[in-house]
Amino acid sequence: MRSALTKRTVFAALLSMLCIPAVIAVNIVFFDDRGYYAAGLAIIILSMLPFAFAFEGRKPQAREIVIIAVMVALTVAGRAAFFMTPQFKPVVALVIISGVALGAESGFAVGALSGFVSNFIFGQGPWTPWQMFAFGVIGFISGLVFRRMSASIGNAGAAAPFVGHDESVRLGWNVRAKRKKERLRIALLCAFGFVITFVLYGLLLDTAALTMFTSEISGNALIATYIAGLPFNLIHAVSTVVFLAFLARPMMEKLERVKKKYGLLR
Amino acid sequence: MSEKNKAYRMADGYDALSANESAERWSVFEGFHPLLNYLYFAYVVIVTVFFLHPVLLAISFASASAWSVRLGGAKALRFGLIFVLPLMLVATALNPVFNHEGVTILGYLMDNPITLESILYGVCAALMIGGVILWFRCYTSVMSSDKFIYLFGRVAPAASLIISMTLRFIPRYVEQAGRIASARRGLGFDVSSGGFAQRVKNGGEVLSIMITWALENAVDTADSMRSRGYGLPGRTAYSIYRFDARDGALLLVLCALTTIVCVSIFSGTVNMGFFPLFSMNATSAPALVAYVCHAVVCLSPFALDVGEDFVWRSLQSRI
Repeated sequence: MRSALTKRTVFAALLSMLCIPAVIAVNIVFFDDRGYYAAGLAIIILSMLPFAFAFEGRKPQAREIVIIAVMVALTVAGRAAFFMTPQFKPVVALVIISGVALGAESGFAVGALSGFVSNFIFGQGPWTPWQMFAFGVIGFISGLVFRRMSASIGNAGAAAPFVGHDESVRLGWNVRAKRKKERLRIALLCAFGFVITFVLYGLLLDTAALTMFTSEISGNALIATYIAGLPFNLIHAVSTVVFLAFLARPMMEKLERVKKKYGLLR
Repeated sequence: MSEKNKAYRMADGYDALSANESAERWSVFEGFHPLLNYLYFAYVVIVTVFFLHPVLLAISFASASAWSVRLGGAKALRFGLIFVLPLMLVATALNPVFNHEGVTILGYLMDNPITLESILYGVCAALMIGGVILWFRCYTSVMSSDKFIYLFGRVAPAASLIISMTLRFIPRYVEQAGRIASARRGLGFDVSSGGFAQRVKNGGEVLSIMITWALENAVDTADSMRSRGYGLPGRTAYSIYRFDARDGALLLVLCALTTIVCVSIFSGTVNMGFFPLFSMNATSAPALVAYVCHAVVCLSPFALDVGEDFVWRSLQSRI
């Protein structure tokens, strides 16, 4: 449950950045720069390994493990509950919430494991590592970007039903101002969710699909793939915004409450 | 399925998840040790993905198709025809449209050359995609999640624990949500009556209560784990898998055969190049040996199943 990054994670992230050029170099030297799909797969798996080692290496506490498992279970159940609406899924929204409330490292774990476990239901395939990577990185980045936000979303106006506005101002709580700030932050989170779902998940998985199809990645082919994927990515991004708008406040509130009640804070 | 049986299956955590697998037929290969299952899939998927050799790909694709249909029956056949085949056609068609390398020009499409080499590459890429998807389908029905956790529990204990807890949590949450909903019905907040908005509101309440319960319950679980010594050194794990002589024999045979294939690939006995001109190794005796070895490996689970069917039928006919 830590918000700040440990040295180990920074090291892991740096290591994974070194792996990528190495794989590209191997691909150019030994495969004549043709094995796009194989190279892409190798990059994706190699870049997840350091995170996995960092997570396993610090021997996470039982409480941390169980809370992560709860979030993964809710995310997988969410994906399963919306099985009949293609692309309209709460997965990214829940991963973002986990990242914000539990920190970047746990966010990565929730994202990557949700991708893996939910594919036991939806079918494992060559896309699994890419999904794991995309969800994981989304959780990681949301944890980094909104490090200080979680406490300020869940907490606003906890006592609001019991005191009137004037009373709360007199007590120095000023619930209305807090609520307003909170709404602003949720709007920010939604905007972030839209962009990251569209760019990171959508474009990354479209690129992955292209590497499976063709030996020659040209600008035209990329643009054609992105245009073909546009409606799907838009629906996915919009669904993330909708779910964040509905879930961000109640979920943060619950996670904050558990963190406070059981002293899981940092 | 009887009511009692159904309730029993609901209580068993994995069943709700593997409901879509229940139609799959049992394979002899499933009875082998998880390590063998895993190494087998690692070999076929890696060779299929990393080495675009037409003959090896054709063998791999044909074996994957045969085995997935044997495992999944009509459902697998439908999946192959509705999903995999169109995907493969798109892959074949897409490559020559965007890739104009190669020296054998067959014609022009909107001033862009269509080359034989890029079509051949498209066909191989299609076999690769189709093959990998079908292999993964077989993987899903053979490698259950507990086998995966058994294998990786020692390498990645925390992640494996999260995966197995998640699989247990999902049916548990479904059950708990049902309990909360019936308690709320008693209070007059019925999820299944009233207008749409009222139903959504009541459903949301149930979900909210369930999530709070899940998080509280998680902390209880964690404390219970800690007091039972989670994370202390010297703890053992229960497993139902045993590596017996049969596993050893099959592992030895598969290892020998895959080594021959790998040596042929790395020594260049089996090779191919697509651009600028398509080239492939001649059909020499060593190359044929490699093809046969690859075919035997790829087909072995399917052959084991067919052999078992044959034995079963001959035993039945004798009765």
